[in-house]
Amino acid sequence: MAYLSTTNFAEDKDFIDKWLYTIRTGEMDLGWMKSATEKISPEEANPRRGLTYRDLNLGTYGFTDIPEKVRANRSYAPRGAEIPEGVPDAQPWVSRKSELWAFNTESYYEEAVSRQWNATTDIPWDRLEGVELPEVTGKALSQLMTFLTEVEMIATDTPAMWLPRLNPDFIEVRSFIAAQAMDEARHAEVFRKRALTTGWGLMQASPINEMALKHLRDADSFSEMSVALHLVAEGNVLTMFRFSEYLSPTDVDKKIFRLVMQDEARHVGYGMQHFKYVLEHFPEKREVLHAHLDEAENISFAGAAATELTESFIILAGGGLKKENIEQGIRVTTQFNLKQMQEHFERLDKCGMPERKERSKLFQMYEMGRAAAENAGIKL
Amino acid sequence: MAFYADKDYTVDQTVLEAAQKVMAGQLGLHWYEAKTERIAGRASDPRRGLTYQDLDVGTYGYTNIPEDVRTSQSMVSRGSEKVGKLPDMGYVVNRKSDVWSDNVAELYEEDKARRWVPAIDIPWNELHAHPVAPELEMACAQLYTFLQECQLVAMDFPSKWVALINQDFLEQKSWMCAQMLDASRLFEVFRKRALYGGAGLGRASRTAEQGLKEWLWADQFPQGSVSINLSLAGFLLVLYRQVAAFAPTKVDRAIMRYAMQDGARQTAYGLGQLRYYLKHRPLEASAMEAYLDHTEHALLGLIGSPELLEPMIIICGGGLEKAQVDNGRIATAKFIRLVVREYMERIAAAGLAGHSKRSKIPAMVDRISAPA
Repeated sequence: MAYLSTTNFAEDKDFIDKWLYTIRTGEMDLGWMKSATEKISPEEANPRRGLTYRDLNLGTYGFTDIPEKVRANRSYAPRGAEIPEGVPDAQPWVSRKSELWAFNTESYYEEAVSRQWNATTDIPWDRLEGVELPEVTGKALSQLMTFLTEVEMIATDTPAMWLPRLNPDFIEVRSFIAAQAMDEARHAEVFRKRALTTGWGLMQASPINEMALKHLRDADSFSEMSVALHLVAEGNVLTMFRFSEYLSPTDVDKKIFRLVMQDEARHVGYGMQHFKYVLEHFPEKREVLHAHLDEAENISFAGAAATELTESFIILAGGGLKKENIEQGIRVTTQFNLKQMQEHFERLDKCGMPERKERSKLFQMYEMGRAAAENAGIKL
Repeated sequence: MAFYADKDYTVDQTVLEAAQKVMAGQLGLHWYEAKTERIAGRASDPRRGLTYQDLDVGTYGYTNIPEDVRTSQSMVSRGSEKVGKLPDMGYVVNRKSDVWSDNVAELYEEDKARRWVPAIDIPWNELHAHPVAPELEMACAQLYTFLQECQLVAMDFPSKWVALINQDFLEQKSWMCAQMLDASRLFEVFRKRALYGGAGLGRASRTAEQGLKEWLWADQFPQGSVSINLSLAGFLLVLYRQVAAFAPTKVDRAIMRYAMQDGARQTAYGLGQLRYYLKHRPLEASAMEAYLDHTEHALLGLIGSPELLEPMIIICGGGLEKAQVDNGRIATAKFIRLVVREYMERIAAAGLAGHSKRSKIPAMVDRISAPA
């Protein structure tokens, strides 16, 4: 057994006797009624929005006053409760606010809860009845969906594994991460379901992308994980979803990408706000994050060699395999690749890391690519 | 960093060449003839939508996942063609019987269909419109403090394990993500209720937390699952029913209705998992019994905790007057007996029929005397 309670309650005579005595006599200690906790009178700021975590951001219960270093609570006690002697240590790895906090976390969570959708019933699957895509389009769509199921798998596991490592005082972040894990599970589900309705089934795994994506899971700190997952990977995927919606061969596919985009935008929003927060409140971390971004951007390079994805994208963008289709597909895919990189650097810029461009090999590649695209008459 | 990508792709000439070749229009299309099964899945009942059960077909289905998953250790989605060098994700749960339950796909689908929103689905204003007596409100605040501790642990269990479970068990992993959100939502609604009532939070429970940590930190999934998904979830399910029956306000009743539906799902999985495990691994039955013998004392840490017991007596009785306390302790004694009876029934239904005879817990509960 990995942990044993400090007491075996079945063998603790005093504990059992007191329990039986209370039930038999009704004599209660009521020590908890004297808890040294704060009394508050929260109000719903906007009744139409309901009772939100922000409405409860008061005194010792609020998130605003969580100290930078949480020293007082390492147990499963909810923030603001009285903590008696003898509660166990939950063994959190992250007890420093700037390592995980983001402005607006509570709202990202509330939004996630209110915008849960259902891949089973919110996608008009029945409209696929009688729809038969040309072989080339159907296979390309299936290949894209196959790749996305791999991506969503890592996006599920990575935040989830960090959740129990976060100090319970950061309940709004833990809740956001729980909601994200559910979002990603739903994405894996919807992409799998779509691949299995094309008539082709799933296609081929993407070894280069998988090898690169593994990096997301094995970060040394939550902030590094977050910058690689929320900002770089999900930022790239968000751009990909936008383009995929544009390239979608059916209305069903468009609906899928619209719904996943709203979730992904939330995750990227959290990632940006956290990145900003950590740079502002934990400046020593800047160099560490630069070094982690070097690795994260290496993933973006790797993606260029994952031709099973690029080719399926070109086919969907061009509408087929004829010369003119391929040419059109390459134009759109070039725009997509450049847009992905441009938005990546814009995000870093907005978060307070403008110097990234000077250090990044990816930025050099972006500039070369943009110049080449302009020479070929392709505009961003 | 524990893992670096296998190459520095920024200086890898083959990457550049591969990308340039494709962007010059020379498509290799190596994926085009993928050796995978061709299916066109459709909803069996369009009103219910396209479910995971509808896609339980051939190599894509979950029915045919073998007991030992030996050939998948990467992110590859079940049924895709595996090519090239794929990463080993270090899964430690690769046996189907360690995690599976026959109802897992249905539970995941049901979870999504029954989503609710604590911020807006609870009639919060009722609390201010019809406030309860201060001592009753304090008892509610204490009960909801206790329930938050339970939900923190319920949230941690699936989170702790999900990344260690083989990706071939996709429906199982998806269900665990749904459990995380369920626990987070229950934590949220309990916290909001405690704080909106005006009494603030109460005191954390040493005995409950000690017991919960012992359950949470079980070093194998089947053991942890029995503790968290069956013992804890089953206990909470009875608790939610009890509080719903004696709820001092409409708000508490509404909260408990939602909590019951989520808690019932979790318990159904816990029972189903244990049943599946024992059915496919009968030799593990005695080890599981030994685990239960060793850890079910933690249930006493929960039901015997003064931070739960005393507020339950007050809530069930309606206050602190002697007659109210008498009614409360009688109702609470029934509640405790019900917790233990249902727990033993579930354990028996899962396949450990003789467990109630060897367990110490029923004898403890038999000692409860609550004379009127």
